[in-house]
Amino acid sequence: MQQFNVYKIGPEIKISGLDLSFTNSSLFMVLSATAIALFLFFGSKDKRIIPNKVQLISELLYNFVAKMISDTAGSKAKPYFPFIFSLFMFVLLCNMIGMLPYAFTVTSHIIVTLIMALFIFIAVTIIGFLKHGFKYLSIFIPKGVPAILLPLITIIEIISYLSRPVSLSVRLFANMMAGHTMLKVFGGFVISLGVLGGWLPLSFSVALTGLEILVAFLQAYVFAILTCIYLNDALNLHH
Amino acid sequence: MRRLLGCVIVIMTIGSDVIAAEVGMPQLDPTYWASQAFWLILVFSLLYFSISKFYLPKIKKNIDDRENKIKEDLDEANRIKNLSEQKLKEYQQILENSKREVTKILLDSKLKLDKEIQNIKEKIEKEIDSEVSKVQKEILIQKKDSINSINIISQDIASNIIEKLSGDKLNESSVKAVVEDISKKNIEKYL
Repeated sequence: MQQFNVYKIGPEIKISGLDLSFTNSSLFMVLSATAIALFLFFGSKDKRIIPNKVQLISELLYNFVAKMISDTAGSKAKPYFPFIFSLFMFVLLCNMIGMLPYAFTVTSHIIVTLIMALFIFIAVTIIGFLKHGFKYLSIFIPKGVPAILLPLITIIEIISYLSRPVSLSVRLFANMMAGHTMLKVFGGFVISLGVLGGWLPLSFSVALTGLEILVAFLQAYVFAILTCIYLNDALNLHH
Repeated sequence: MRRLLGCVIVIMTIGSDVIAAEVGMPQLDPTYWASQAFWLILVFSLLYFSISKFYLPKIKKNIDDRENKIKEDLDEANRIKNLSEQKLKEYQQILENSKREVTKILLDSKLKLDKEIQNIKEKIEKEIDSEVSKVQKEILIQKKDSINSINIISQDIASNIIEKLSGDKLNESSVKAVVEDISKKNIEKYL
C-alpha cells in the first residue's frame, strides 16, 4: 500500500488552515495534464492533409469522443464536448501514467474520483433544472409503472440518482486500487518464491499488467460514457 | 538450507509489509484531501481551458479542412470528368461530321469524274465516227476510182484481145460501152 501514499513535495502551503501543499499526487496530475497538452499540441500543430502519427492519434481520439457523445447524448451535448474530452483524456492519462513503475496513480484515490464525480453530478443536476425547470423531477417517475408501485419506484429512482456520484467515483477508484494492489501482491510473490518458483507469479504479473492497461483505458472510457449518459438524462428528458 | 532461510526471511518481511499496509488505506487518510482536491481542480480547469480554447478548435479545424479539401478535390475531379466526357462527345461529333463530309466529297467527285469520263468518251466516239465515215468515203471514192481504172484496163485488154484474135481494130467507143455495160451488170459482185 506504500504506492498509494501521498507525501509532500517542496514547501508547505497553508491557506486558512487548509494544507494545500504540492504532493506527489499533484505532481502526477501536472504530469498527466502536461502530457495531454504536449500530445495535443503536437497533434494539432501541423495542418496536413495526410496526418502524421501524433496528429492521426489525436484526431482519432477526437472522433472517438465526438462519436461517443453524439451516440449517447445526441447533438444537444455538443457544448459539453470539450469537458468530456478533457475528462476522458485526464482520467486516461492518469490511469496510464499510473501503470509506469514507481509512478503514482492519481485516480486510485477516492477523493480525486469523488470530486470529479460530484462535480459531474452537481453540474448535470444544474443543467437538468436549467433546461427543464421542475419538470426535471419527472426523471424520478418512470412511465408505464402501475400506480401502486409508483412510490416505491420513485424512491428507488431517487436513491439510484443520488448514488450516481458514489458509484461513478468508487468504480474508478476501486478498479485502479485493486489492479495496482494485485500487481503488487503478485510482485511480492515473485520475490518471495525466488528464482525457483517465482516464474508463475511473474507470468501472472505480466498478464495482469496487460489487463491493467486495458482496464486503465476501459475505466476512462466508462467514466466518460457514464458522464455522457447522465448528461443525456439531463438534456433529453424522455423517460 | 541457507537459501531456504533467506526465502523465509524475505517472505516474512514482505508479509509483514503487506499486513502493515493493510492496517491503514492511505486513501482514507484525510491529511492531503484538501491538497488533492485543490490541485485537481486547478490542474483540471487549466487543462479544460487549454483544451477547449486551443487544442480542440485546432483539431476540429484540421479535420474540417481535410474534409473540405477532399470534397473540393472530388468535386473538381467530377467537374473535369464531365468536361472530358463532353469533349469526347464533341470530338466524336466532329469525327462523324468529317466522315460524312468525306463520303459526300468522295461521292461528288466520283459523279463528276464519271460525267467527265462520259463526256470525253462521247467526244472521242464522235471523232472516231467522223474519222471512220471519212475514211469510208475515201475508200468508196478509191473503189470507184479503182473500178474506173479497172474498166479502162479491161477496155484496153478487151480491145487488144479482140485485135489479136480478129485482127481488126474495133471501135474504141463500142468496146468501152460493152465493158461499162458488163461492169455495171457485175458491179454488185465487186463492191
